[in-house]
Amino acid sequence: MTEQSTTRTRRRGVTEQQRPLWLLTPGGLLMTLIILVPLLLAVYISLIDLDQYTLRRWLDAPFIGLRNFTEAFESGLPRSIWISVSFAVISTAATVPFGIAAAVATQNAFRGRALVRAVFLIPYVLPSFVVATVWRTMLQPDGIVNTMLAKVGVDGALWLSGPTSFWTLILVEIWAAWPFIYLMALAGLQSVDGEVHEASAIDGANWWPKLTHVILPYLRGPVLLACLLATLHHINNFTLPYVLFGAPAPDDVNVMPMIVYVTSFQGLRFGLSAAMAIVSLLLIAIPLFAYLRALRLDVHEDGGRK
Amino acid sequence: MGRRRMRAVVAVAGAVTLAAGLGACGGGDEGGGGGAGKTLNVLIGANTQYPQEFRAWQKSIADRFKAQTGATVEFEEFATANDELTKIQTSVVSGAGPDVYAVGTTLTPTAYSTGAFVKLDDERWQKVGGKERFVPATLGISGPDQQNQVGVPFVSRPFVMAYNTELLRAAGISRPATTWDELREHAKQLTKGDQYGLAVAYKDNFDPWKFVWGMSVQAGNPLVDGRTARLQDPIVRQAYQTYFGWVTTDKVVDPAAIGWTNSQAIAEFAEGKTGYMALTSTTAAKALDDGAVKGKWSFALLPTVPPGAASRPATGVEAASILSGDNLLVADYSDNQDLAFEFVKMATEQDTQLDYYKAVGNLPANAAALQTLQSDPKLAPVAQAAQKSVATPFTGAWADIQLAMTNVVVQSIPDLSKGSVSDAQLDGRLADAQKSAQSALDRAK
Repeated sequence: MTEQSTTRTRRRGVTEQQRPLWLLTPGGLLMTLIILVPLLLAVYISLIDLDQYTLRRWLDAPFIGLRNFTEAFESGLPRSIWISVSFAVISTAATVPFGIAAAVATQNAFRGRALVRAVFLIPYVLPSFVVATVWRTMLQPDGIVNTMLAKVGVDGALWLSGPTSFWTLILVEIWAAWPFIYLMALAGLQSVDGEVHEASAIDGANWWPKLTHVILPYLRGPVLLACLLATLHHINNFTLPYVLFGAPAPDDVNVMPMIVYVTSFQGLRFGLSAAMAIVSLLLIAIPLFAYLRALRLDVHEDGGRK
Repeated sequence: MGRRRMRAVVAVAGAVTLAAGLGACGGGDEGGGGGAGKTLNVLIGANTQYPQEFRAWQKSIADRFKAQTGATVEFEEFATANDELTKIQTSVVSGAGPDVYAVGTTLTPTAYSTGAFVKLDDERWQKVGGKERFVPATLGISGPDQQNQVGVPFVSRPFVMAYNTELLRAAGISRPATTWDELREHAKQLTKGDQYGLAVAYKDNFDPWKFVWGMSVQAGNPLVDGRTARLQDPIVRQAYQTYFGWVTTDKVVDPAAIGWTNSQAIAEFAEGKTGYMALTSTTAAKALDDGAVKGKWSFALLPTVPPGAASRPATGVEAASILSGDNLLVADYSDNQDLAFEFVKMATEQDTQLDYYKAVGNLPANAAALQTLQSDPKLAPVAQAAQKSVATPFTGAWADIQLAMTNVVVQSIPDLSKGSVSDAQLDGRLADAQKSAQSALDRAK
């Protein structure tokens, strides 16, 4: 907050014509080199027939227009999109209550709170590879999960193959991702002014009305942002399905990153996989764009638009 | 402000990484010709089992090469075949990178299809000691035909079975099975109580297609006929049925095997309660000797008579294993090609190969060196498997075909757990596999 106000005072001294835009050149060059060039290259590759046979002279690879895109849609891509989107949405929706509940529960000081907060973060700080390896071991047909279930008289499932694998992926993703919502919700709670608590106490609000009418509205912004980021992260998650299920993956967890990976690095069809990657990029851009428009994050009070 | 500064820092870091990466790529080709002051870069698979022995071997050959030619050899290691493929891709695009690649046999057709490796004419074969220096079978995947060879055989890693000598003796079985039907019968005899006849890694990403390929080739279907895929075929169907049948109908495999990778299956076999380990290689020896099965196991050839037959049909091939191991390939962008071939010659000499075998346990591709190992009774079946190895079809499409064949098993696992894969399900999956294999062959150039 204070930073923003100092920014404003500093900017006021410079008129729009005088802005030293040239200072952006180094950053602009780097952005071009690191983001724009590879992106344009990916678009170009998606339009050519690039595979192991043409790789060596890739600039001479035949230009085939949108054929890679039509092939992508005729092959498994639409199904992968559906799997990815449903996986991401379900995972996000399921992690929100956990995250908020944990944040609210650790808001008030109690003995051992620091420890509990640290423990909550463990799934989040563990590398994805480790999480997936441990879960894969536990979910083997004769693994610890099925053994425990058998002890309480429940038939175990085939977690890592077939239709169940989709729910396994969601389960593990929830386990690994809820602390992110928790962190964002916790940050939101910190910004609730002490006066607000006092005011609601004076008004005689019980904990439930206070939670639903006072606290949660404060969390709306951070949690919505967290949902957006988490969903994008779920859609892009490659390590988890790859390590859990291997490649080729069961059809039910053939998410977009998996299909792009298999097409590129096992099938060696770089053109086709670039087309798939661009489709998934566009897909990811939709919620991002909608959110940015809705929140107007791109417009500062002192920005270009007034 | 803070965020923007952060972004700039990240951007600069990215650029530095990128530049470092490009620098590393270009590091491979200073100088030209052969001799003193030159550096030869060799890309080779990392050995996680015997890392120290592997480094010692690298140092010893590098020292000898330096003494002989004055050139320095630098080894670069890759962890998985995919890493190597990525390295080949980037080197091919940039025209710079390692001079010599040790490439796995099933990856050799893919490497060949990039056209980035030096073809060996008679003169070059002479430079590396002549074709007669090698075990004839190992030359089977050097190239699509005699005139277009790029790979010089370096090591063999043929696939074999391992069996528990004690359990077989107790069951009254005098010698390991030589036909697939006999293997099933043995496995049935060996399955009782908490003991199983066979260990099979159904969830492995590389094992399953090797069974199907072997049984099919032995029954006379090479899977690829010119530019036609032959996966939708009664022979292939029977191969899958046999492979699935072990766990569904014969029940000679632990039901948990539908979740096993190869190393898990090895670990099970090492506990001493399984008759046969269906697919393994010499690299497993250490794991087996660390287990309860120590001193009670032996290697055996995989069966070479197709399922449902007592002898191999006339069109069948005596394929004991896929031709497995590594080839040495010289990059055509290399400025040190002569030096590279000198290195290849040294690496395939009898003594170097035997040293390598002693260091890491990979069998020599050098015929004379392999001959000296035949006398070891433990190794005899493996050496025999090396001689009876048959190359998988040499086509750039093979990677896709292999993937399609594995996918049939991956998608069938839920049905395996339920106890049966119906004909309709299998046929549907074979049709998918056929389609993707054929489309890969159609694209092959």
